[in-house]
Amino acid sequence: MKSPTPTPTTTPSTPAAAAGDERRGSIELRRVRKTYGNLAAVDDLDLTVRPGEFVTLLGPSGSGKTTTMMMVAGFEELTSGTVLIDGKPVDRLPPKDRNLGVVFQSYALFPHMSAAQNVEFPLRMRGVRAGERRKRAEEALARVGLAGLGDRRPRQMSGGQQQRVALARALVFNPAALLLDEPMAALDKRLREQMQDEVKTLQRALGISVLFVTHDQDEAMSMSDRIVVMRDGRIVQEGAPEDVYAHPRTDWVANFLGDTNLLPCKVLERKDGVAVVDLGSWGVGRVRDLGARGDTYAVSIRPEHLRFVDAERTENRATGRVLSSTSLGATIRHRLRVGEKDIVMRELSAGTRAGRGPDDEVSVGWTQDEAQLLVLEP
Amino acid sequence: MTSTATPVAATPVTAAVGADPPRGRPRRPRSAWLLLLAPVLVFDAVLFLTPIGRLVTQSTHDQAYQRVLKDPLVVRSMLNTFEISALSTLATVVIGYLLAVVIWRRGPLMRVILFALVLLPFWTGVLVKNFAWAVLLQDNGLVNSALQGLGITDGPLALLHNRFAVIVGMVHYLLPYAVFPIFAALAAIDDRLELAARSLGAGEASVFRRIILPLTVPGVSAAGLLVFIISTGFFITPVVLGGPGDMMIANEIDFYARQLTDFAGASALALLLTLVVSVLVAAYQRILRAGGEYEAG
Repeated sequence: MKSPTPTPTTTPSTPAAAAGDERRGSIELRRVRKTYGNLAAVDDLDLTVRPGEFVTLLGPSGSGKTTTMMMVAGFEELTSGTVLIDGKPVDRLPPKDRNLGVVFQSYALFPHMSAAQNVEFPLRMRGVRAGERRKRAEEALARVGLAGLGDRRPRQMSGGQQQRVALARALVFNPAALLLDEPMAALDKRLREQMQDEVKTLQRALGISVLFVTHDQDEAMSMSDRIVVMRDGRIVQEGAPEDVYAHPRTDWVANFLGDTNLLPCKVLERKDGVAVVDLGSWGVGRVRDLGARGDTYAVSIRPEHLRFVDAERTENRATGRVLSSTSLGATIRHRLRVGEKDIVMRELSAGTRAGRGPDDEVSVGWTQDEAQLLVLEP
Repeated sequence: MTSTATPVAATPVTAAVGADPPRGRPRRPRSAWLLLLAPVLVFDAVLFLTPIGRLVTQSTHDQAYQRVLKDPLVVRSMLNTFEISALSTLATVVIGYLLAVVIWRRGPLMRVILFALVLLPFWTGVLVKNFAWAVLLQDNGLVNSALQGLGITDGPLALLHNRFAVIVGMVHYLLPYAVFPIFAALAAIDDRLELAARSLGAGEASVFRRIILPLTVPGVSAAGLLVFIISTGFFITPVVLGGPGDMMIANEIDFYARQLTDFAGASALALLLTLVVSVLVAAYQRILRAGGEYEAG
């Protein structure tokens, strides 16, 4: 069955040329809402994936990230709002005409077709002739490191190989952008890290925009140009991975993206991105301030941002007692009690001063830039 | 399979005995296996193998095979049996596929309702169903009255006591046997395959032709095999709905046993039917295995 739409796939830049090349490969969501009955799965979402950008929707299950992706792909209808691909509204386009490469968590390879036939499928749907189809499928398989394995059936391939076939199939027709829905979730840790690197390398080489959906914060950190943290259908924070990690706006974001110590505080003064806070038994300290407003505040300090300091240092310092120290191989995790608060700190095993044992009196310190004032969510 | 002494239904039993225990479970000692199988073996021996054995011995008397094979009515009813069974199977599988797809595409509540409707004929006696069709299809029945009332036909169509009526009655009886295996095959398809196909540029027709249909081939062939084997044994339906020219082999066996009281001949016919069906089933499975590279993969 030939596709009725004569989408020119051999020349990827043609359709975008009319709309202006600068938006080729962009995905824009404007005030997108999706409600099921009274429940808003996605609530007034505004999001732009710029051409060539790798954007990750990060959130727990039920945060609306997959629904968002399904709406971009065209599998879910929007309740309101609009989605633009290449700068053109696609709300009336069925999935087959959106020209997006989608990779699903389970890969969704066609089990009755060989790897090569799977990769040829989108070309066949676009009416590409058999010879050309075979050639392009071979190239696509070679690009993901599967040269010569085209005759295998999906079930004869490992999880990593299947994932590569799915990737080749999603890329072979030069889609406007790639949508990846938790594509690594089924892989073991080592393979997952390897695939993360490979996908990232491939994405850079092709310069293709990616909308990536995951609940895995490590994956989001390692692959994204920009992370969009979602919760209950809304964006709670977005930014470069390092920024979101180092400067969470709320305690929820801080906890979702890694471990942190949350110290409740009173804000004494806020000026020029720096807040002076009263940390109770920790004394008064200076921390970074993004200007988030709320009823109650806390300071977030990541475990690796705390370090042992000499008692004489004055600023941003607290004194406490070691409860326990656990070696995790590359790092050591200390549990400390400072005032009434138990905190966790982590230091590299290499360069650790020996001889710190339980019940030792210690002083810990942090720098102003590594401590973040945030809003405690009710 | 080729020996007359091995009936069709014995095949699954032997297959189950010879099969390896499922992977991942601890292997039990052989004695435990036999113990667990004992009830089935006893049941089969008493109620299946013994009567079959009697059939075999009876059929060797009085040159029964030579006699029945010379009977033109036997040859005729054999041919009838395979023609009617083939047509019924084809119609049942096609209609069953459509029904299964309709049920598969509905939500959970509609599924239950539709399944109940499919199962309704299952729970009704075959005789009741046959007479219901006879009432519907007779000259002044509902169908003919409707056709004439609407001015589509001038006089009554001959809908009853012919091959058409037999096939209608059989398809009605057989539908659940096709719907369930086909539905099971459809339900086993990962929903995401369809989403993937659509995202890759496939429209409805392509999704069906290139994804759904090939993936349901095993279910369709299972349904076809089941329906065909059941078809060859129909007995009441040709009597109630068919004409004199639509008698099937089961009617002929009945005729030999009760009208002619020729039990040797009846036994020979029963075993001939079993043999021919066995050969056809074996050939069918061989063809499927050769063609089904997906399964072999």
